[in-house]
Amino acid sequence: MKQSTPKKYGIVIDASKCIDCKACMIACKVENNIPEGAWRNWIRPSWDTGDGRKAEFQPGQCMQCDTPSCVAACPVNATYKQPDGIVAIDPKKCISCGNCVTACPYGARYRNSARQIADKCDFCEDRLKRGEEPACVITCPTKTRVFGDLNDPASKVSRLLKDEKLVRVTAPHVDTRPNIYYYQGTRLLDWAVTPTLPGNVHMSREFWEKT
Amino acid sequence: MPMKTKGTMSRRSFMKLSAAAAATTVGSSSRILYALVSEKQGTQPNQLRDQFSACDMCFNKCGLIARVEDGVVKKLDPNPKSLKSRGMLCARGNAGVRQLYDPDRLKYPLLRKGQRGEGRWQRLSWEQALDHAAEQMERIGQKYTRCGFLFMAGTDMQSTFVHHFAEVYGSYNVISHESNCLLSRNRAFLDTYGVVPTPDIIHSKHVIMPGANRFEALVTPDSIDLMTAMQNGCKLVVLDPRFTKTAALADEWFAIKPGTDMAFFLAVAQVLISENLYDQKFVAEKTSGFEELRTHVQPYTPEWAAGETEIPAKDIRRLARELAAAAPTAMVYPGRRSSDYKDSTQIRRSFAIVNALLGNWDQKGGLILPKKIKTGSISHDPPFYEDNPDDRVDAGRAQMMFDEEGSFKHTRDAVIEGKPYPIKGWLTYKTNPMQTGANRNKTIEMIHKLDFMVTVDIAMSDTAWMADLVLPAPSYLERQDPVSAFLASSACSGVLTRDPVVPALFESKPVFWIVKELAKRLDLAEYFDFTIEDFRKAQLKKLPEVAKALKNDGVYNLVGHSHGIHEGKPFKTRSKKIELYNSRYAENGINPLPVYRPPQAVPENHFRIVVGRNAYITQSASTNNTLLWELEHENCLWIHPVPAKRLGIQNEKLVEVQSAVGKGWLKARVTEDTRPDTVYMDTGFGVISEGLSKIFGKGACIADVLEDHADRISGNMAMHETFVTVSKI
Repeated sequence: MKQSTPKKYGIVIDASKCIDCKACMIACKVENNIPEGAWRNWIRPSWDTGDGRKAEFQPGQCMQCDTPSCVAACPVNATYKQPDGIVAIDPKKCISCGNCVTACPYGARYRNSARQIADKCDFCEDRLKRGEEPACVITCPTKTRVFGDLNDPASKVSRLLKDEKLVRVTAPHVDTRPNIYYYQGTRLLDWAVTPTLPGNVHMSREFWEKT
Repeated sequence: MPMKTKGTMSRRSFMKLSAAAAATTVGSSSRILYALVSEKQGTQPNQLRDQFSACDMCFNKCGLIARVEDGVVKKLDPNPKSLKSRGMLCARGNAGVRQLYDPDRLKYPLLRKGQRGEGRWQRLSWEQALDHAAEQMERIGQKYTRCGFLFMAGTDMQSTFVHHFAEVYGSYNVISHESNCLLSRNRAFLDTYGVVPTPDIIHSKHVIMPGANRFEALVTPDSIDLMTAMQNGCKLVVLDPRFTKTAALADEWFAIKPGTDMAFFLAVAQVLISENLYDQKFVAEKTSGFEELRTHVQPYTPEWAAGETEIPAKDIRRLARELAAAAPTAMVYPGRRSSDYKDSTQIRRSFAIVNALLGNWDQKGGLILPKKIKTGSISHDPPFYEDNPDDRVDAGRAQMMFDEEGSFKHTRDAVIEGKPYPIKGWLTYKTNPMQTGANRNKTIEMIHKLDFMVTVDIAMSDTAWMADLVLPAPSYLERQDPVSAFLASSACSGVLTRDPVVPALFESKPVFWIVKELAKRLDLAEYFDFTIEDFRKAQLKKLPEVAKALKNDGVYNLVGHSHGIHEGKPFKTRSKKIELYNSRYAENGINPLPVYRPPQAVPENHFRIVVGRNAYITQSASTNNTLLWELEHENCLWIHPVPAKRLGIQNEKLVEVQSAVGKGWLKARVTEDTRPDTVYMDTGFGVISEGLSKIFGKGACIADVLEDHADRISGNMAMHETFVTVSKI
């Protein structure tokens, strides 16, 4: 791998493999020391109540969007897009106003009351620095999530992007260009919401136009 | 710099970072963690190390790597080399750190001061506690014979030492948890195949799963392999009165009427035989009693079975044909917990018989039995106690009990009755019959018959809460264990072990040390003249490659040799063949072929209550874990909307569930995920122990409601034979 190639991390999820065991959720809580009642990731169930009853369990987390509405909504530039694609939060700058929480179409953010900052998935950046995959990815019994560098054509995620039919979950009025992909056929595609903000702040017109 | 203490971590190869990668500390550390780490543990700042261990949050023993930072276990990750667990760690496995750093843990020996179960305790030193226990054991042994002391150890790598201790102390009244779980399944397959085979799910193309819930009640590798097999085109058919997550992910789900699985499989056998769909060559060569079976199943047509199971005849016939078409790469999943009906062994015999008709024995995708690795041991000739009675206290109460496992139900009855002889002492280790043994009031009654009860555990379980002396044990991350050999279907035969990841907290002591200290005081020191290190050396004496793998990989896997390995070998049965017809049963007054008896009809205004699992509860051992508690704060009663409406029961409102033996209050979950005649609740709530601070006062205890029936043949608890009423409060 060439040192100069910038990385862009992403995840491809095959929801048909998820058994809703919650391993990824507990792994994340331990790895990232998430306070009681808060979560950085989730498993969203879809119950088909027809005759041939079936269910799908769709895992998810921060989509590390390319045009993130949370970044556009931050009044103090505490949240920003890193060169490796991860949307990061600078805990020193964050004033815990919560604008980014409602601005996220995916409900991926929460206010960490213990640390007085906004918080969300960062693909376990500390693990990445140690050369380890995110906790949710590695612990999964059925390896529902595949993690990797979307800029590396040899990576498994790039190959999946090339070979498989994948879809993204987008909000009704904006496409923040998320970097989490799902296998086509996942039933849950319309759950993202339009970003909202308190009345005294706004996201620039440029954001809405760009997305 | 990260410091590695054990071998090479292949998980590090992911991005092939240089060793210069900085070890950064993660966020802010939880205060609880540091508060619980003793200062004398001599931690050095900014040290990060990884160490292998094996999970103990349930019985599966999945391989793990513990990440330790500054002397604190920060994260448990799956060990990718653990083929049994397919390199995964479930929610409970991840929550293991909170079992270690749990403020509710037992910290020092406690002696009961008030009434049993009152919760008044006096702190003792270990000297005082051990002297007291040894005195009681000596006194009871003298007065009531050594068999007057009962031992019960749960699934644990150190339980072998409890058994050894019981043997040299002189009691053969030793019971395990298994008679509340899977003994009837074992009995059935043993009495058919001569062994208990393991399902080769990963290679299967067609699985019928009766009653088992493999995507929630996780068994490694079966749970993971089932998904892999399905991704490769395996068809899964689930029979379950509940719409479990396994049912939800299956190709087909039938809400079978509880207690009628045998009717379904007798009909499947009838179709296979009458339509000549069975493996004729296999049956001719490898089974005995086929003609008897053919005659026996003739009346059991799909049309007949439809009336019993409430599954349409055309579906039963189709499912039988599909199963046969996929054979031998097809199976009836044998299941694990089979503590359900009085006919439980015979029900599982019907599963075993259909598998035999498919000819899937020793075949890819069928029922297999790879060779388990044989470890050595340290052996002693136990002393002989002349005054001991002739047999176990539960002898003769079931038709064919496993002596080495016993029966909790029958032993408890015997203790209460004082027949055939009195039992006055009880030692329990890491097992919680107050929560897992049906009819909790009877367990309490049993305990009140005792002179002395000592419990060794990590936390104040309901069983510990009733004991006279409570001794604190370390968690699996703090102790050295012997090695343990295991079989993981076609994934591997393996061996694993544990070394302390961190020193034991508080005054906790492993049960090996406890029984060794008791042995000293009882003049039995000569039988414990070894350390765990010595024991392990003896275990691995002839297996040098295992010791090496344990050091480098944290687990030893022997791969291959899973299929076709029994060709030409006789079965370990009387006829040397698979016994469709069991002649030994016939001689003992047991039906030699499974005869269907309809389950007792659910009385009017009653429900049948069934037992089950989800993926984040290990019976009663995990519900108080602060992380897993976040996934489930309390249990609730699943009840179908139709009867709920009739009874005026609303979702999330409190109801009373009552049987002939007990009752409980819990919230209703009004749902179509259970049949209108069946209710369900999770195990592990409604605790009486105030030492379980997260869940005390939450939900209801299913063991309090369940009546204690038993499987006639194996003495396994029969937990689906209870009818309850449900009323709003």
